[in-house]
Amino acid sequence: MSTDSTGEYDGPVTEEITVTVNGRAVTATVEPRLKLSDFLRDVCGLHGVRVGCEHGVCGACTVQQDDRTVKSCLSYAVQADGAAIETVEGLDDDGSLHPIQEAFHETHALQCGFCTSGFVMATKELLEENPDPTREEIQTGLAGNICRCTGYQNIYDAVERAGEKLTAETGSEE
Amino acid sequence: MSRSQPPETGVDADAESIDAGTESFTGTGLPRVEDHRILTGEAEYVHDITPDRCLHMALVRSMHAHADIVSIDTSDAEAHPECELVITADDIEAEYNPMPTGIPKVETDGGDVRRLEEWSLAGETARFVGEPVAAVVATNRYVAEDAADLVDVEYDPKPAVADGLAAREDEVVVHESVGTNVVDGERIAFGDPDAAFEDADHVVTGEYSWGRISGVPLETAGVVASYDEETDSFDIDCNIQLHTLVDDTIYETLGYDADDVRVSVPADVGGSYGTKIAIHRYCCLAAMASKELERPVKFVEDRIENLQGGDVHCSDREYEVRMAVDDDGTMRGLDVWFVDDFGAFPRYPVNQVLKPLSVLTNSYEIDDVVYEYELALTNKTSQTAYRGFGVDPHIYALEMIVDEAAREIGMDPTEFRRRNLIEPEQMPYTLPSKNVYDSGDYPATLDRIEEIIDDERDGGLLDPAVVEAKREQGKYRGVQPSVIIEPGVSGSDWTDRQRSDRDELEDRSRGEVEELPEHLRAELRPDGTVRAFLATDSSGQGHQTLVSQLLADELEILPSDIDVDYLDSVDAPTEYGSAASRMAVMLSGATVGVARRLIDRAEELAAESWECATDDVTYRDGVVERVDTGETRSLAELAELDAGRDERLTSVSYDYDHPATDRAEFDEAFTKKYPVYPTAAFGANAPIVEVDVETGEVEILTFHTVRDCGTMLNPTIVEGQAHGGIAQGIGAALLEEFGYEDDGQPQAITLFDYLLPSIETIPEIEMEHTVTPSPYTETGAKGVGEGGMIDAPASIATSINAALEPLGLDEPADRIPVAPDHLLRQVRDRE
Repeated sequence: MSTDSTGEYDGPVTEEITVTVNGRAVTATVEPRLKLSDFLRDVCGLHGVRVGCEHGVCGACTVQQDDRTVKSCLSYAVQADGAAIETVEGLDDDGSLHPIQEAFHETHALQCGFCTSGFVMATKELLEENPDPTREEIQTGLAGNICRCTGYQNIYDAVERAGEKLTAETGSEE
Repeated sequence: MSRSQPPETGVDADAESIDAGTESFTGTGLPRVEDHRILTGEAEYVHDITPDRCLHMALVRSMHAHADIVSIDTSDAEAHPECELVITADDIEAEYNPMPTGIPKVETDGGDVRRLEEWSLAGETARFVGEPVAAVVATNRYVAEDAADLVDVEYDPKPAVADGLAAREDEVVVHESVGTNVVDGERIAFGDPDAAFEDADHVVTGEYSWGRISGVPLETAGVVASYDEETDSFDIDCNIQLHTLVDDTIYETLGYDADDVRVSVPADVGGSYGTKIAIHRYCCLAAMASKELERPVKFVEDRIENLQGGDVHCSDREYEVRMAVDDDGTMRGLDVWFVDDFGAFPRYPVNQVLKPLSVLTNSYEIDDVVYEYELALTNKTSQTAYRGFGVDPHIYALEMIVDEAAREIGMDPTEFRRRNLIEPEQMPYTLPSKNVYDSGDYPATLDRIEEIIDDERDGGLLDPAVVEAKREQGKYRGVQPSVIIEPGVSGSDWTDRQRSDRDELEDRSRGEVEELPEHLRAELRPDGTVRAFLATDSSGQGHQTLVSQLLADELEILPSDIDVDYLDSVDAPTEYGSAASRMAVMLSGATVGVARRLIDRAEELAAESWECATDDVTYRDGVVERVDTGETRSLAELAELDAGRDERLTSVSYDYDHPATDRAEFDEAFTKKYPVYPTAAFGANAPIVEVDVETGEVEILTFHTVRDCGTMLNPTIVEGQAHGGIAQGIGAALLEEFGYEDDGQPQAITLFDYLLPSIETIPEIEMEHTVTPSPYTETGAKGVGEGGMIDAPASIATSINAALEPLGLDEPADRIPVAPDHLLRQVRDRE
């Protein structure tokens, strides 16, 4: 909390930020300590961003910031001022599934689903860099995300299938 | 006789591409209906629920394992301009009740009966690190934590006890008013174990430890409580498991009737694995705060709270096991003793010490057995349930003594196991502890897993040349297969055995036994689609998919014409719900029943409209047809006809009885309150491990498993459950543990300390299935929700022992987790 010169409480210190979230500019007045994950969930209403550990181990809160994945529980909203954030909600805006989401569905790569948006976003970055990863490369790419339900086997399959789908899509466009 | 059947993981099996009426959805890997909302971020978990005017709660927790609370000064917190409320034990003791515990009264040696109470907030004494001592409510969680920091608690620390074995000495007593830490225990003998141990050629003994682990779901506990002054009642949204069964822990604490506390669980819960049955403390505190403030109050546990003091740790056992065995390899007798460290308070999961009776001798025939346990309290977080409900440590300890006995008599451990396996001709097989295995061919699964390993020995991971070369690099490979049982479909009648007069159980009549069925509702909607309502909650198992695919088959319509919703604790009868692999069996049975009832009603309505007899109509493909004229009534037309009636016919419910309810085979188990689990899924595991003797690290190169869960209703979900269970079993075996310092300080309070398996830890799981339907269940399904967790730790431990056998170590995997330092110490001590 902050106090004025007389020692009276005058509310928290705040700062105005503008973040482009899933293509839409969001301007808000926030406390510097507000985590990016809480900004996305509570200010922007994007509940696909999940908070599992708040110390950067589980990866459920993974989003893309300026095309690179970040764990949104490990950074503050003020640090995203001026940045472009993409969450799982931004993958497809017409209610249909993005090829990565389709692949997770088709291979039963989710059970409780709490980690899933983090895995989908991590997969997106992985496949953008490497459309046809080996199993070892998938391991490395997803090592920062924890899934407690699936045992990962079907997640490998999902990433491979998603890679195939995205490659086929790109191929058909060319 | 079981038959081999490759699983159809038909992920392309699109609901719309299968013609209704011509193909069965059941038995296919139909993709889940739950997925779309989850994948698009539209699912609403309890963390996502924040009503208007909602306030947020944070907890002040004890940093001492054992301390008297001298004073609590809340004035600074209350002076914070955004703090709305601070609650301490003084505030709640006058108005509310203690939380129900598993052992509310302890009888001392002198015959006195002492009460053992637990309150939602610690009063005079804090008994574990993380025990809540005050609750603070503010405008948001950030501010609530600020204000919580301003609560000044003065403690007078006392000596603590944090070891189950040491606690039995009562030098430090966790509850002084009770006078002892050993609050329950029992020695149960079956057959004539004294004679077996006297006569046998050998008596082999072993000591094994099972460390504290838990489910650690990605989603922590969460609750939003709203009190309504007008009706003097509560609405509680939370992610508790078994919300229609354990809601008594909430309404009894609040001192309200069940109907005045409506507990709802969202359709999506971010994992539980049993652990969330014990989150009632949070529900109660949020409800109390909500009543005081007349505003909704939300609490979401953070990860440190979850790991440190969230009341959700699981079994923590020290075993001493003896096996009597003859020279020819016959297992003659078994004597299992253990102490289970329950932490500061005995909760509902006291039954975890008894459930292993349902698989007392695993897959072996041993008639003479002693089972003895002591339940000790310590200054650690209390236990809850976890996938396997106490069976996993038992199977582990049993497989370890089997290994040790085989080596003692100089017999190959696989041959030793084979000689003692229950044969298919003995099915159904009654255990000494009176539970019954329904069906299965255990020797065949062992044979199959042996064939798989033989292939690995021939140019594969276990090729002798490779194994030798690796050994020269200090890497020891090995495997030791084991055959395991997953007891399925818990009942409830036995679960108060600890509170029963055991002499009276000797001549208890079968008429006194009551089992809990599973409840399902279905109704026809005006557009001819069907809505079903589950009385259970779900945390990722795909219950909606299961019910929609089975109901589609029974009604001969498409799964997409069926929606499945959930009932809250007031609308649903008190049912057991999702526990001990019940759901595949209980929901499939209930679905068949509810569908038949709905078809009967549809025929009745149609016949009434045609003014003919019900025998003259027949239901097929979603329509009722009049046999003589060929006229039809669609479901939508029937719904319209029904809407005009005074009492609706097309809204039906059905209670599927627990499969053991009317079966004489279970008479003795039921009347004596021994655990009844009427389905026995089974299988054999052969994880191939490699131990690095320079680092003590264990890598699982591949995990071979052959599994049988009876009819596979959805093979994709079956495999998913097995993958997940095995992964949790691997975590338990090698990584996970809630360690404690001697003074009761927890060592694992972040996910950097409590290591969950990542994608880099889990090997390829090579899985095969056989299908031996259960004769006891409606669909032939057996439970499948706990497999893997129950059996993987035991199988990994036996494989580690096998890998290190060339070093001449004495069963090095004698504690779970088999952490690198433990193995390394033994390797070095030997040198």
